[in-house]
Amino acid sequence: MSLLKALRYFFREAGVNLLRGWKVSLLAVLTIAVSLFIGGAFLLVSDNLESSVERWRGEMRVVIYLKPETPEADLRRLAAEAARAPGVRSVEPVTAAAARKRFQEVFPSLSNLVAGWQEEPLPASLEIGLDPRTAGNAPGREAWLASWRTRPEVSLIDDDREWLGQLATAVAVVRTVGVALVAGLLGAAIFTIASVIRLTAYLHAEEIGIMRLVGATELYIRAPFYVEGLLQGVIGGLLASGALWAGYQLLHARGGGSLFSSVLALDFLGAQQVAFLILLGGAAGLFGAVVSLRREAL
Amino acid sequence: MIQFFHVSKKYPGGQAALDEVTFDIPRGQFVFLTGASGAGKTTLLRMIFREEVPTSGQILVNGRNVSAIPRSKIPYLRRTIGVVFQDFRLIARKTIFENVTYLPQVLGVDLQEQKKLAYQALRRVGLAHRLNAFPPELSGGEQQRVAIARALINDPDILIADEPTGNLDPDLSREILRLFLEVNLRGTTVILATHDRDTIQRVGRRVLTLDHGRLANDQELIGTDPPALDPLAAEAPQVPEELIPAPEPPPEETAG
Repeated sequence: MSLLKALRYFFREAGVNLLRGWKVSLLAVLTIAVSLFIGGAFLLVSDNLESSVERWRGEMRVVIYLKPETPEADLRRLAAEAARAPGVRSVEPVTAAAARKRFQEVFPSLSNLVAGWQEEPLPASLEIGLDPRTAGNAPGREAWLASWRTRPEVSLIDDDREWLGQLATAVAVVRTVGVALVAGLLGAAIFTIASVIRLTAYLHAEEIGIMRLVGATELYIRAPFYVEGLLQGVIGGLLASGALWAGYQLLHARGGGSLFSSVLALDFLGAQQVAFLILLGGAAGLFGAVVSLRREAL
Repeated sequence: MIQFFHVSKKYPGGQAALDEVTFDIPRGQFVFLTGASGAGKTTLLRMIFREEVPTSGQILVNGRNVSAIPRSKIPYLRRTIGVVFQDFRLIARKTIFENVTYLPQVLGVDLQEQKKLAYQALRRVGLAHRLNAFPPELSGGEQQRVAIARALINDPDILIADEPTGNLDPDLSREILRLFLEVNLRGTTVILATHDRDTIQRVGRRVLTLDHGRLANDQELIGTDPPALDPLAAEAPQVPEELIPAPEPPPEETAG
Protein backbone atom coordinates (compact mmCIF):
# COMPACT_ATOMS: atom_id res chain seq x y z
CA MET A 1 0.00 0.00 0.00
CA SER A 2 1.36 3.38 -0.97
CA LEU A 3 2.32 5.73 1.85
CA LEU A 4 -0.13 8.37 0.70
CA LYS A 5 -3.04 5.92 0.61
CA ALA A 6 -2.06 4.55 4.00
CA LEU A 7 -1.84 8.03 5.51
CA ARG A 8 -5.21 8.97 4.04
CA TYR A 9 -6.73 5.84 5.57
CA PHE A 10 -5.08 6.42 8.97
CA PHE A 11 -6.26 10.03 9.15
CA ARG A 12 -9.77 9.17 7.98
CA GLU A 13 -10.14 6.41 10.56
CA ALA A 14 -8.65 8.63 13.29
CA GLY A 15 -11.04 11.45 12.32
CA VAL A 16 -14.03 9.10 12.47
CA ASN A 17 -12.92 7.84 15.91
CA LEU A 18 -12.51 11.41 17.17
CA LEU A 19 -15.97 12.39 16.00
CA ARG A 20 -17.68 9.25 17.23
CA GLY A 21 -16.21 9.53 20.69
CA TRP A 22 -16.17 13.31 20.74
CA LYS A 23 -16.93 13.63 24.45
CA VAL A 24 -13.93 11.66 25.65
CA SER A 25 -11.82 13.13 22.86
CA LEU A 26 -12.79 16.61 24.05
CA LEU A 27 -11.65 15.72 27.56
CA ALA A 28 -8.24 14.68 26.25
CA VAL A 29 -7.97 17.75 24.03
CA LEU A 30 -8.90 20.12 26.88
CA THR A 31 -6.47 18.49 29.29
CA ILE A 32 -3.61 18.98 26.90
CA ALA A 33 -4.82 22.48 25.97
CA VAL A 34 -4.83 23.57 29.63
CA SER A 35 -1.32 22.17 30.16
CA LEU A 36 0.03 23.91 27.10
CA PHE A 37 -1.81 27.14 27.92
CA ILE A 38 -0.15 27.31 31.34
CA GLY A 39 3.19 26.35 29.80
CA GLY A 40 2.74 28.95 27.09
CA ALA A 41 1.84 31.64 29.66
CA PHE A 42 5.02 30.92 31.59
CA LEU A 43 7.01 31.00 28.36
CA LEU A 44 5.41 34.31 27.40
CA VAL A 45 6.15 35.96 30.76
CA SER A 46 9.68 34.61 31.11
CA ASP A 47 10.54 35.49 27.51
CA ASN A 48 9.32 39.05 27.92
CA LEU A 49 11.02 39.40 31.28
CA GLU A 50 14.22 38.12 29.76
CA SER A 51 14.02 40.51 26.82
CA SER A 52 13.34 43.36 29.27
CA VAL A 53 16.44 42.34 31.21
CA GLU A 54 18.37 42.26 27.96
CA ARG A 55 17.08 45.70 27.03
CA TRP A 56 18.04 47.09 30.41
CA ARG A 57 21.38 45.37 30.19
CA GLY A 58 21.96 47.36 27.01
CA GLU A 59 21.33 50.50 28.99
CA MET A 60 23.33 49.31 31.98
CA ARG A 61 25.42 51.88 33.74
CA VAL A 62 27.36 52.62 36.86
CA VAL A 63 26.75 56.00 38.53
CA ILE A 64 29.57 57.38 40.68
CA TYR A 65 28.34 60.12 43.01
CA LEU A 66 30.96 62.59 44.10
CA LYS A 67 31.21 64.48 47.36
CA PRO A 68 29.57 67.96 47.33
CA GLU A 69 32.81 69.87 47.65
CA THR A 70 34.36 68.28 44.56
CA PRO A 71 35.25 71.04 42.08
CA GLU A 72 33.97 70.84 38.54
CA ALA A 73 37.50 70.57 37.14
CA ASP A 74 37.97 67.36 39.12
CA LEU A 75 34.69 66.10 37.69
CA ARG A 76 36.07 66.58 34.15
CA ARG A 77 39.36 64.96 35.05
CA LEU A 78 37.70 61.97 36.67
CA ALA A 79 35.37 61.62 33.64
CA ALA A 80 38.34 61.48 31.26
CA GLU A 81 39.98 58.90 33.49
CA ALA A 82 36.86 56.73 33.65
CA ALA A 83 36.48 56.78 29.86
CA ARG A 84 39.86 55.06 29.46
CA ALA A 85 38.80 51.93 31.38
CA PRO A 86 38.02 48.75 29.31
CA GLY A 87 34.32 47.95 28.68
CA VAL A 88 33.23 51.54 29.20
CA ARG A 89 31.00 52.75 26.38
CA SER A 90 30.32 56.31 27.48
CA VAL A 91 30.94 58.67 30.37
CA GLU A 92 28.70 61.62 31.05
CA PRO A 93 29.85 64.05 33.75
CA VAL A 94 26.77 65.51 35.45
CA THR A 95 27.46 68.63 37.49
CA ALA A 96 25.50 69.31 40.67
CA ALA A 97 23.63 72.13 38.88
CA ALA A 98 22.79 69.86 35.95
CA ALA A 99 21.54 67.18 38.36
CA ARG A 100 19.23 69.68 40.05
CA LYS A 101 17.95 70.91 36.69
CA ARG A 102 17.27 67.38 35.51
CA PHE A 103 15.39 66.62 38.74
CA GLN A 104 13.21 69.67 38.26
CA GLU A 105 12.46 68.66 34.67
CA VAL A 106 11.61 65.07 35.53
CA PHE A 107 9.63 65.89 38.67
CA PRO A 108 8.21 69.38 38.10
CA SER A 109 5.81 69.06 41.03
CA LEU A 110 8.72 68.43 43.38
CA SER A 111 10.95 71.17 41.96
CA ASN A 112 10.59 73.22 45.17
CA LEU A 113 12.40 70.54 47.08
CA VAL A 114 15.66 71.34 45.34
CA ALA A 115 15.20 75.09 44.92
CA GLY A 116 16.40 77.83 47.28
CA TRP A 117 19.39 76.00 48.76
CA GLN A 118 22.64 77.92 49.39
CA GLU A 119 24.60 74.98 48.07
CA GLU A 120 23.58 72.56 45.37
CA PRO A 121 21.41 69.89 47.09
CA LEU A 122 22.25 67.07 44.66
CA PRO A 123 25.74 65.71 44.18
CA ALA A 124 27.70 65.80 40.94
CA SER A 125 28.13 62.41 39.32
CA LEU A 126 29.72 60.39 36.57
CA GLU A 127 27.20 58.34 34.55
CA ILE A 128 29.23 55.55 33.05
CA GLY A 129 27.57 53.48 30.30
CA LEU A 130 28.90 49.92 30.18
CA ASP A 131 29.35 47.74 27.11
CA PRO A 132 26.34 45.34 27.03
CA ARG A 133 28.43 42.75 25.16
CA THR A 134 30.34 42.04 28.35
CA ALA A 135 27.19 42.53 30.47
CA GLY A 136 29.18 45.09 32.40
CA ASN A 137 31.71 42.47 33.39
CA ALA A 138 34.82 43.44 31.49
CA PRO A 139 38.07 42.00 32.91
CA GLY A 140 39.12 43.76 36.09
CA ARG A 141 35.71 45.44 36.52
CA GLU A 142 35.41 44.70 40.25
CA ALA A 143 38.95 45.86 41.00
CA TRP A 144 38.31 48.99 38.94
CA LEU A 145 35.13 49.79 40.92
CA ALA A 146 36.91 49.03 44.20
CA SER A 147 39.62 51.52 43.27
CA TRP A 148 36.92 54.17 42.69
CA ARG A 149 35.36 53.48 46.08
CA THR A 150 38.61 54.33 47.82
CA ARG A 151 39.00 57.70 46.12
CA PRO A 152 38.47 60.70 48.41
CA GLU A 153 36.14 62.45 45.87
CA VAL A 154 33.68 59.53 45.69
CA SER A 155 30.75 59.30 48.11
CA LEU A 156 28.63 56.49 46.59
CA ILE A 157 28.57 54.08 43.66
CA ASP A 158 25.27 52.88 42.23
CA ASP A 159 25.80 49.70 40.18
CA ASP A 160 22.90 48.55 37.86
CA ARG A 161 24.42 45.09 37.59
CA GLU A 162 23.28 44.23 41.11
CA TRP A 163 19.55 44.50 40.52
CA LEU A 164 19.77 43.26 36.95
CA GLY A 165 21.49 40.16 38.27
CA GLN A 166 18.64 39.65 40.74
CA LEU A 167 16.09 40.09 37.97
CA ALA A 168 17.90 37.55 35.77
CA THR A 169 17.71 35.08 38.68
CA ALA A 170 13.98 35.77 38.96
CA VAL A 171 13.59 35.02 35.22
CA ALA A 172 15.42 31.72 35.68
CA VAL A 173 13.15 30.85 38.62
CA VAL A 174 10.01 31.66 36.59
CA ARG A 175 11.30 29.52 33.74
CA THR A 176 12.20 26.59 36.00
CA VAL A 177 8.85 26.70 37.80
CA GLY A 178 7.12 26.86 34.39
CA VAL A 179 9.04 23.89 33.01
CA ALA A 180 8.35 21.83 36.17
CA LEU A 181 4.66 22.74 36.14
CA VAL A 182 4.29 21.99 32.45
CA ALA A 183 6.13 18.67 32.84
CA GLY A 184 3.64 17.67 35.55
CA LEU A 185 0.62 18.88 33.61
CA LEU A 186 1.80 17.25 30.39
CA GLY A 187 2.23 14.01 32.31
CA ALA A 188 -1.41 14.27 33.36
CA ALA A 189 -2.43 15.10 29.78
CA ILE A 190 -0.50 12.13 28.41
CA PHE A 191 -2.21 9.90 30.96
CA THR A 192 -5.63 11.24 29.89
CA ILE A 193 -4.90 10.74 26.19
CA ALA A 194 -3.57 7.25 26.88
CA SER A 195 -6.78 6.39 28.75
CA VAL A 196 -8.97 7.79 25.98
CA ILE A 197 -7.08 5.87 23.29
CA ARG A 198 -7.21 2.69 25.36
CA LEU A 199 -10.94 3.16 25.79
CA THR A 200 -11.39 3.67 22.04
CA ALA A 201 -9.30 0.58 21.31
CA TYR A 202 -11.37 -1.37 23.85
CA LEU A 203 -14.60 -0.23 22.19
CA HIS A 204 -13.19 -1.38 18.85
CA ALA A 205 -11.79 -4.65 20.19
CA GLU A 206 -14.11 -6.75 18.06
CA GLU A 207 -13.34 -4.73 14.97
CA ILE A 208 -9.62 -5.06 15.64
CA GLY A 209 -10.09 -8.82 15.95
CA ILE A 210 -11.75 -8.87 12.53
CA MET A 211 -8.95 -6.78 11.05
CA ARG A 212 -6.40 -9.28 12.35
CA LEU A 213 -8.47 -12.14 11.04
CA VAL A 214 -8.47 -10.89 7.46
CA GLY A 215 -4.73 -10.27 7.54
CA ALA A 216 -4.22 -6.61 8.46
CA THR A 217 -0.74 -5.85 9.76
CA GLU A 218 -0.18 -4.48 13.26
CA LEU A 219 0.88 -1.12 11.84
CA TYR A 220 -2.32 -0.89 9.84
CA ILE A 221 -4.38 -1.66 12.94
CA ARG A 222 -2.48 0.60 15.34
CA ALA A 223 -1.64 3.58 13.15
CA PRO A 224 -5.16 5.12 13.20
CA PHE A 225 -4.98 5.15 17.02
CA TYR A 226 -1.54 6.79 16.93
CA VAL A 227 -2.89 9.42 14.53
CA GLU A 228 -5.89 9.92 16.84
CA GLY A 229 -3.54 10.70 19.76
CA LEU A 230 -1.46 12.96 17.55
CA LEU A 231 -4.55 14.87 16.39
CA GLN A 232 -5.83 15.27 19.95
CA GLY A 233 -2.46 16.72 20.96
CA VAL A 234 -2.24 19.04 17.95
CA ILE A 235 -5.81 20.30 18.46
CA GLY A 236 -4.96 20.86 22.15
CA GLY A 237 -1.87 22.83 21.09
CA LEU A 238 -3.89 24.93 18.66
CA LEU A 239 -6.53 25.65 21.31
CA ALA A 240 -3.84 26.61 23.83
CA SER A 241 -2.14 28.94 21.33
CA GLY A 242 -5.48 30.52 20.42
CA ALA A 243 -6.40 31.01 24.08
CA LEU A 244 -2.99 32.54 24.80
CA TRP A 245 -3.39 34.95 21.90
CA ALA A 246 -6.90 35.89 23.02
CA GLY A 247 -5.74 36.34 26.62
CA TYR A 248 -2.78 38.45 25.48
CA GLN A 249 -5.03 40.69 23.39
CA LEU A 250 -7.56 41.04 26.20
CA LEU A 251 -4.97 42.00 28.81
CA HIS A 252 -3.35 44.47 26.44
CA ALA A 253 -6.69 46.06 25.68
CA ARG A 254 -7.44 46.44 29.39
CA GLY A 255 -4.01 47.18 30.80
CA GLY A 256 -2.18 49.16 28.11
CA GLY A 257 0.86 50.93 29.58
CA SER A 258 0.78 48.94 32.81
CA LEU A 259 3.70 46.99 34.20
CA PHE A 260 2.13 43.90 32.68
CA SER A 261 2.06 45.15 29.13
CA SER A 262 5.38 46.97 29.28
CA VAL A 263 7.48 44.32 30.97
CA LEU A 264 5.75 40.94 31.24
CA ALA A 265 3.82 40.72 27.99
CA LEU A 266 5.21 43.28 25.63
CA ASP A 267 5.47 40.85 22.72
CA PHE A 268 3.46 37.70 21.92
CA LEU A 269 5.25 34.41 21.39
CA GLY A 270 7.17 34.05 18.15
CA ALA A 271 5.93 31.77 15.34
CA GLN A 272 8.57 29.20 16.25
CA GLN A 273 7.42 29.12 19.87
CA VAL A 274 3.77 28.72 18.85
CA ALA A 275 4.82 25.92 16.49
CA PHE A 276 6.78 24.38 19.38
CA LEU A 277 3.68 24.43 21.62
CA ILE A 278 1.58 22.74 18.93
CA LEU A 279 4.27 20.17 18.19
CA LEU A 280 4.71 19.51 21.89
CA GLY A 281 0.98 18.81 22.08
CA GLY A 282 1.20 16.47 19.09
CA ALA A 283 4.21 14.67 20.56
CA ALA A 284 2.45 14.28 23.92
CA GLY A 285 -0.67 12.88 22.19
CA LEU A 286 1.36 10.47 20.08
CA PHE A 287 3.33 9.36 23.12
CA GLY A 288 0.10 8.76 25.04
CA ALA A 289 -1.28 6.64 22.18
CA VAL A 290 1.91 4.61 21.87
CA VAL A 291 2.03 4.02 25.63
CA SER A 292 -1.63 2.97 25.76
CA LEU A 293 -1.24 0.44 22.94
CA ARG A 294 2.11 -0.98 23.94
CA ARG A 295 2.71 -4.72 24.01
CA GLU A 296 -0.49 -6.73 24.26
CA ALA A 297 -2.77 -3.81 25.16
CA LEU A 298 -4.52 -4.15 21.80
CA MET B 1 -1.91 -28.44 1.93
CA ILE B 2 -2.82 -28.81 5.64
CA GLN B 3 -0.96 -31.30 7.78
CA PHE B 4 -1.32 -31.91 11.50
CA PHE B 5 1.38 -34.04 13.17
CA HIS B 6 0.62 -35.19 16.70
CA VAL B 7 -0.88 -31.85 17.59
CA SER B 8 -1.89 -31.34 21.22
CA LYS B 9 -3.20 -28.31 23.00
CA LYS B 10 -3.40 -28.11 26.75
CA TYR B 11 -4.72 -25.06 28.56
CA PRO B 12 -3.09 -23.80 31.77
CA GLY B 13 -5.64 -25.65 33.93
CA GLY B 14 -4.37 -28.91 32.46
CA GLN B 15 -7.46 -29.44 30.33
CA ALA B 16 -6.60 -30.87 26.88
CA ALA B 17 -8.43 -29.23 23.96
CA LEU B 18 -6.62 -31.40 21.42
CA ASP B 19 -4.74 -34.61 22.01
CA GLU B 20 -2.27 -36.09 19.51
CA VAL B 21 -4.28 -35.14 16.43
CA THR B 22 -2.75 -36.20 13.12
CA PHE B 23 -4.29 -35.82 9.65
CA ASP B 24 -3.53 -34.53 6.20
CA ILE B 25 -5.89 -32.54 3.94
CA PRO B 26 -4.85 -32.39 0.28
CA ARG B 27 -5.44 -29.31 -1.86
CA GLY B 28 -9.00 -28.90 -3.14
CA GLN B 29 -10.65 -31.27 -0.66
CA PHE B 30 -13.95 -30.59 1.10
CA VAL B 31 -13.81 -31.73 4.71
CA PHE B 32 -16.44 -31.74 7.43
CA LEU B 33 -15.08 -31.40 10.95
CA THR B 34 -17.57 -32.67 13.45
CA GLY B 35 -17.92 -33.61 17.08
CA ALA B 36 -19.86 -32.63 20.15
CA SER B 37 -19.56 -29.14 21.63
CA GLY B 38 -16.19 -28.85 23.38
CA ALA B 39 -14.65 -31.61 21.26
CA GLY B 40 -11.94 -29.23 20.02
CA LYS B 41 -13.28 -28.24 16.58
CA THR B 42 -12.84 -24.50 17.05
CA THR B 43 -9.39 -24.90 18.61
CA LEU B 44 -8.29 -26.99 15.65
CA LEU B 45 -9.58 -24.45 13.13
CA ARG B 46 -8.00 -21.54 15.01
CA MET B 47 -4.65 -23.29 14.85
CA ILE B 48 -4.76 -23.35 11.06
CA PHE B 49 -4.78 -19.55 10.88
CA ARG B 50 -2.48 -19.20 13.90
CA GLU B 51 -5.03 -17.79 16.31
CA GLU B 52 -3.88 -20.55 18.64
CA VAL B 53 -0.57 -22.38 18.83
CA PRO B 54 -0.23 -26.05 19.78
CA THR B 55 1.40 -27.09 23.03
CA SER B 56 3.14 -29.85 21.10
CA GLY B 57 3.20 -31.19 17.56
CA GLN B 58 3.54 -29.48 14.19
CA ILE B 59 1.07 -27.87 11.79
CA LEU B 60 2.02 -27.28 8.17
CA VAL B 61 -0.09 -25.08 5.92
CA ASN B 62 1.09 -24.95 2.32
CA GLY B 63 4.38 -26.44 3.52
CA ARG B 64 4.99 -23.76 6.18
CA ASN B 65 5.26 -24.55 9.85
CA VAL B 66 2.50 -22.34 11.21
CA SER B 67 3.76 -22.38 14.82
CA ALA B 68 7.17 -21.09 13.72
CA ILE B 69 5.87 -18.11 11.75
CA PRO B 70 7.02 -14.85 13.41
CA ARG B 71 4.27 -12.56 14.67
CA SER B 72 4.93 -9.98 11.99
CA LYS B 73 4.33 -12.60 9.25
CA ILE B 74 1.01 -13.92 10.57
CA PRO B 75 -1.06 -11.43 8.50
CA TYR B 76 0.50 -12.84 5.32
CA LEU B 77 -0.59 -16.37 6.29
CA ARG B 78 -4.12 -15.15 7.03
CA ARG B 79 -4.41 -13.49 3.65
CA THR B 80 -4.30 -16.97 2.09
CA ILE B 81 -7.08 -18.27 4.35
CA GLY B 82 -10.69 -17.15 4.34
CA VAL B 83 -12.53 -17.59 7.63
CA VAL B 84 -16.29 -17.61 8.26
CA PHE B 85 -17.83 -17.72 11.72
CA GLN B 86 -21.20 -18.60 13.12
CA ASP B 87 -21.71 -14.99 14.29
CA PHE B 88 -20.64 -13.48 10.91
CA ARG B 89 -18.23 -10.96 12.52
CA LEU B 90 -19.01 -8.06 10.23
CA ILE B 91 -18.11 -4.50 11.17
CA ALA B 92 -21.49 -2.89 11.87
CA ARG B 93 -20.40 0.70 11.18
CA LYS B 94 -19.00 -0.12 7.76
CA THR B 95 -21.02 -0.74 4.60
CA ILE B 96 -21.14 -4.14 2.96
CA PHE B 97 -18.71 -2.83 0.34
CA GLU B 98 -16.27 -1.67 3.04
CA ASN B 99 -16.61 -4.94 4.96
CA VAL B 100 -15.98 -7.04 1.91
CA THR B 101 -13.09 -4.96 0.58
CA TYR B 102 -11.23 -4.63 3.86
CA LEU B 103 -8.38 -6.89 2.76
CA PRO B 104 -7.95 -5.36 -0.73
CA GLN B 105 -7.89 -1.99 1.02
CA VAL B 106 -5.14 -3.20 3.37
CA LEU B 107 -3.24 -4.46 0.34
CA GLY B 108 -3.48 -1.04 -1.33
CA VAL B 109 -5.70 -2.14 -4.22
CA ASP B 110 -7.09 0.93 -5.96
CA LEU B 111 -10.74 1.84 -5.55
CA GLN B 112 -11.86 0.81 -9.04
CA GLU B 113 -10.31 -2.62 -8.60
CA GLN B 114 -11.85 -2.88 -5.11
CA LYS B 115 -15.28 -2.19 -6.61
CA LYS B 116 -14.74 -4.84 -9.23
CA LEU B 117 -13.61 -7.41 -6.66
CA ALA B 118 -16.48 -6.56 -4.31
CA TYR B 119 -19.00 -6.86 -7.11
CA GLN B 120 -17.62 -10.24 -8.19
CA ALA B 121 -17.49 -11.59 -4.62
CA LEU B 122 -20.96 -10.35 -3.74
CA ARG B 123 -22.41 -11.61 -7.02
CA ARG B 124 -21.14 -15.09 -6.16
CA VAL B 125 -23.21 -14.96 -2.99
CA GLY B 126 -26.16 -13.21 -4.65
CA LEU B 127 -25.80 -9.86 -2.87
CA ALA B 128 -24.29 -7.58 -5.50
CA HIS B 129 -27.25 -5.22 -5.08
CA ARG B 130 -26.56 -4.60 -1.34
CA LEU B 131 -23.16 -2.90 -1.68
CA ASN B 132 -24.16 0.21 0.23
CA ALA B 133 -26.23 -1.39 2.98
CA PHE B 134 -24.96 -1.78 6.53
CA PRO B 135 -24.81 -5.24 8.17
CA PRO B 136 -27.64 -4.60 10.67
CA GLU B 137 -29.94 -3.91 7.70
CA LEU B 138 -29.44 -7.46 6.41
CA SER B 139 -30.98 -10.76 7.50
CA GLY B 140 -28.83 -13.39 9.20
CA GLY B 141 -28.49 -15.39 6.00
CA GLU B 142 -27.49 -12.30 4.05
CA GLN B 143 -24.93 -11.34 6.67
CA GLN B 144 -23.41 -14.80 6.50
CA ARG B 145 -23.24 -14.53 2.72
CA VAL B 146 -21.43 -11.20 3.09
CA ALA B 147 -18.99 -12.87 5.50
CA ILE B 148 -18.40 -15.55 2.88
CA ALA B 149 -17.87 -12.91 0.19
CA ARG B 150 -15.31 -11.23 2.46
CA ALA B 151 -13.57 -14.55 2.99
CA LEU B 152 -13.48 -15.22 -0.76
CA ILE B 153 -12.49 -11.79 -2.06
CA ASN B 154 -8.79 -12.54 -2.05
CA ASP B 155 -9.34 -15.91 -3.71
CA PRO B 156 -7.93 -17.83 -0.73
CA ASP B 157 -6.33 -21.26 -0.93
CA ILE B 158 -8.29 -22.40 2.09
CA LEU B 159 -11.76 -21.54 3.35
CA ILE B 160 -12.46 -22.30 7.00
CA ALA B 161 -15.99 -22.13 8.39
CA ASP B 162 -16.82 -22.61 12.06
CA GLU B 163 -20.49 -23.54 12.44
CA PRO B 164 -21.45 -21.15 9.62
CA THR B 165 -25.07 -22.27 9.64
CA GLY B 166 -25.49 -22.50 13.40
CA ASN B 167 -27.61 -19.37 13.56
CA LEU B 168 -29.62 -19.96 10.42
CA ASP B 169 -32.86 -21.75 9.61
CA PRO B 170 -32.74 -24.95 7.51
CA ASP B 171 -33.45 -23.24 4.17
CA LEU B 172 -30.75 -20.63 4.68
CA SER B 173 -28.36 -23.29 5.95
CA ARG B 174 -28.87 -25.24 2.77
CA GLU B 175 -28.21 -22.13 0.70
CA ILE B 176 -24.97 -21.38 2.59
CA LEU B 177 -23.78 -24.96 2.32
CA ARG B 178 -24.41 -24.86 -1.41
CA LEU B 179 -22.14 -21.83 -1.59
CA PHE B 180 -19.34 -23.67 0.17
CA LEU B 181 -19.67 -26.60 -2.19
CA GLU B 182 -19.53 -24.24 -5.14
CA VAL B 183 -16.39 -22.58 -3.77
CA ASN B 184 -14.86 -26.02 -3.37
CA LEU B 185 -15.72 -26.90 -6.96
CA ARG B 186 -13.56 -23.98 -8.03
CA GLY B 187 -10.56 -25.56 -6.31
CA THR B 188 -10.55 -24.00 -2.84
CA THR B 189 -9.90 -26.34 0.06
CA VAL B 190 -12.87 -26.09 2.42
CA ILE B 191 -12.97 -27.16 6.06
CA LEU B 192 -16.39 -26.80 7.59
CA ALA B 193 -16.99 -27.41 11.27
CA THR B 194 -20.52 -28.47 12.12
CA HIS B 195 -22.39 -30.80 14.40
CA ASP B 196 -25.28 -31.06 12.00
CA ARG B 197 -25.03 -34.82 11.29
CA ASP B 198 -28.03 -34.76 9.00
CA THR B 199 -26.34 -32.35 6.57
CA ILE B 200 -23.15 -34.39 6.63
CA GLN B 201 -25.11 -37.58 5.87
CA ARG B 202 -26.88 -35.97 2.94
CA VAL B 203 -23.85 -34.24 1.40
CA GLY B 204 -21.18 -36.85 2.02
CA ARG B 205 -17.47 -35.95 1.57
CA ARG B 206 -14.61 -36.54 4.02
CA VAL B 207 -15.55 -36.30 7.69
CA LEU B 208 -13.12 -35.82 10.57
CA THR B 209 -14.74 -36.53 13.93
CA LEU B 210 -13.27 -35.18 17.14
CA ASP B 211 -14.12 -36.59 20.54
CA HIS B 212 -12.70 -34.98 23.68
CA GLY B 213 -9.83 -33.54 21.66
CA ARG B 214 -8.89 -36.79 19.95
CA LEU B 215 -9.43 -37.59 16.29
CA ALA B 216 -11.96 -40.36 16.75
CA ASN B 217 -12.78 -40.98 13.11
CA ASP B 218 -11.59 -40.04 9.63
CA GLN B 219 -13.85 -41.39 6.91
CA GLU B 220 -15.20 -40.73 3.42
CA LEU B 221 -18.98 -40.68 3.29
CA ILE B 222 -21.18 -41.15 0.29
CA GLY B 223 -23.98 -38.61 0.48
CA THR B 224 -27.51 -39.87 0.66
CA ASP B 225 -28.96 -36.89 -1.18
CA PRO B 226 -26.12 -35.04 -2.94
CA PRO B 227 -28.21 -33.54 -5.76
CA ALA B 228 -30.26 -31.57 -3.23
CA LEU B 229 -27.14 -29.61 -2.37
CA ASP B 230 -25.36 -29.81 -5.67
CA PRO B 231 -24.54 -26.24 -6.63
CA LEU B 232 -24.66 -27.07 -10.31
CA ALA B 233 -28.10 -28.58 -9.99
CA ALA B 234 -29.18 -25.60 -7.91
CA GLU B 235 -28.28 -23.19 -10.67
CA ALA B 236 -31.07 -24.62 -12.86
CA PRO B 237 -34.11 -22.37 -12.26
CA GLN B 238 -36.86 -24.04 -10.34
CA VAL B 239 -40.05 -22.84 -12.03
CA PRO B 240 -43.29 -23.39 -10.11
CA GLU B 241 -45.63 -25.74 -11.89
CA GLU B 242 -48.49 -23.26 -12.10
CA LEU B 243 -46.31 -20.94 -14.16
CA ILE B 244 -45.42 -23.57 -16.74
CA PRO B 245 -47.67 -22.93 -19.73
CA ALA B 246 -49.86 -25.79 -20.84
CA PRO B 247 -48.86 -27.30 -24.19
CA GLU B 248 -50.64 -25.70 -27.05
CA PRO B 249 -53.48 -27.78 -28.38
CA PRO B 250 -52.94 -29.09 -31.88
CA PRO B 251 -54.64 -26.98 -34.48
CA GLU B 252 -58.10 -28.20 -35.17
CA GLU B 253 -58.70 -29.43 -38.59
CA THR B 254 -61.18 -27.27 -40.37
CA ALA B 255 -63.81 -28.72 -42.47
CA GLY B 256 -63.19 -27.91 -45.96
